[in-house]
Amino acid sequence: MRTTLSQILLLVGKDLRIEARSRQTLGLVITLGLLIVVVLGLGLGAEAAKGYSAMAVLWVAYLFSGVLCFEKTMAVERHEGAMAGLLLAPVDRGVIYLSKLIANLLMMLAVALVVTPAGVLFFSFDLSAAPLSFALIMGLGMLGVAAVGTLFAAVVSSTRLAGGLLAMVVFPVVLPVVIASTQLMLGIFRDGKELGGTGLAVLIAFDVIFVTVSWLVFEWILEP
Amino acid sequence: MNSKTKTLIAAGTVLTLALFGAALAMLVYYTPTEKSMGQIQKVFYIHLPVAINTFLACLVSFIASVGYLWTRRMSWDDLAASSAKVAVVLCSIVLLTGMIWGKAAWGQWWTWSPRLTFSLMLWLLYVVYLIIRNSIDSAPRRALISAVYSVIAFLDVPLVYLSARLMQDIHPQSIELEPAMKLTLLVWFIPVTLANAGMITLRYMLARAQAETAGQSPTDQQQPAIEPGSAQWHALLNGNGSTSDREVNK
Repeated sequence: MRTTLSQILLLVGKDLRIEARSRQTLGLVITLGLLIVVVLGLGLGAEAAKGYSAMAVLWVAYLFSGVLCFEKTMAVERHEGAMAGLLLAPVDRGVIYLSKLIANLLMMLAVALVVTPAGVLFFSFDLSAAPLSFALIMGLGMLGVAAVGTLFAAVVSSTRLAGGLLAMVVFPVVLPVVIASTQLMLGIFRDGKELGGTGLAVLIAFDVIFVTVSWLVFEWILEP
Repeated sequence: MNSKTKTLIAAGTVLTLALFGAALAMLVYYTPTEKSMGQIQKVFYIHLPVAINTFLACLVSFIASVGYLWTRRMSWDDLAASSAKVAVVLCSIVLLTGMIWGKAAWGQWWTWSPRLTFSLMLWLLYVVYLIIRNSIDSAPRRALISAVYSVIAFLDVPLVYLSARLMQDIHPQSIELEPAMKLTLLVWFIPVTLANAGMITLRYMLARAQAETAGQSPTDQQQPAIEPGSAQWHALLNGNGSTSDREVNK
């Protein structure tokens, strides 16, 4: 157990160190997220770009920047045969999946830390009623998206698939997360309900199912 | 394909078409017209059987994908692909007939109600499955990745259903039907289910035949010799051949 934990820490640390030194991904994805918020705000116009439409805008921004993060953290392993080295290391493949998942989740959270305030401000979406519920719902949603995205990023990176395919594979699978979180937030912020019910159950079930299944099938998918 | 199989296919096709003709005649001459919606309501007798057959096709695709992951036989992969293709066709029919019905009943082609959203998401999931298949050249790699995707997509279906139910519903939950209407509905299940099974079988047989003519034995055990200078030989030299994939995956 302790070795597994230290292996995960080591692998996550490696990914974050690469990002800290190369500064390739975060700047790019955060700017992309902000651009999405601005484009949708302008496209919706002053009338529609208010209140609950912020949730849709935030999800579009999270999803696109998330997919870019997943692509980049896997692409790092494609350079100079790094993947072969990783596969040769005496580490369980499930550990590789979990560490990639954590690295991707941390990147997504970094994006969310910048994009969420922007979306909330630009769309004057009042979070003050339940900021913690908002954070919990978005956090659970992002975990689900990252679970599926990390798995499929490994798939896409090990085949000669055209770029952009990752978004197409990830989006239809994570739609339940988008619906559940949107409906939960409408319930909380518009109807004044408590956090809970089927929506929360769907989010938690999604996370549990897809982290477990991805962890199980990851070793079949990786190849140098 | 021997002559016995050919006769069976021809007989099956004729039977299915004849039953479709009979069901259509029943729909036109026997089934009573609904009071409020008129003739348009009759699209419902096609809509529901096709919707249920869509789930059956998805289920077959899921079982075949698990079968492939379990045994690594290409025949399972062919079955998964065939049933996914049929599922997409059937799901398109469900969406189209549903939209026609919705336009007549609600005055709108589309509303974001749970079942409509669910069907659309199901359609998207399986269309992406077909696109993934088209994007991967190496056969064992394609089989593996699409099997993994298919399992994930099928596990997603209950979650899609539950999450879609959170939305406001205007879709009829259960409809009170006249006995004659119930009979029509039951009759329509027969040709639709036969057509579903027939299309999956035909596509599967076609895929198997293609695999055999491509020099691959049904159990995927024989490897054809590689001629020096051939396209495959070059592919292997460049490090993107299918043979290396196969060994890694074993």
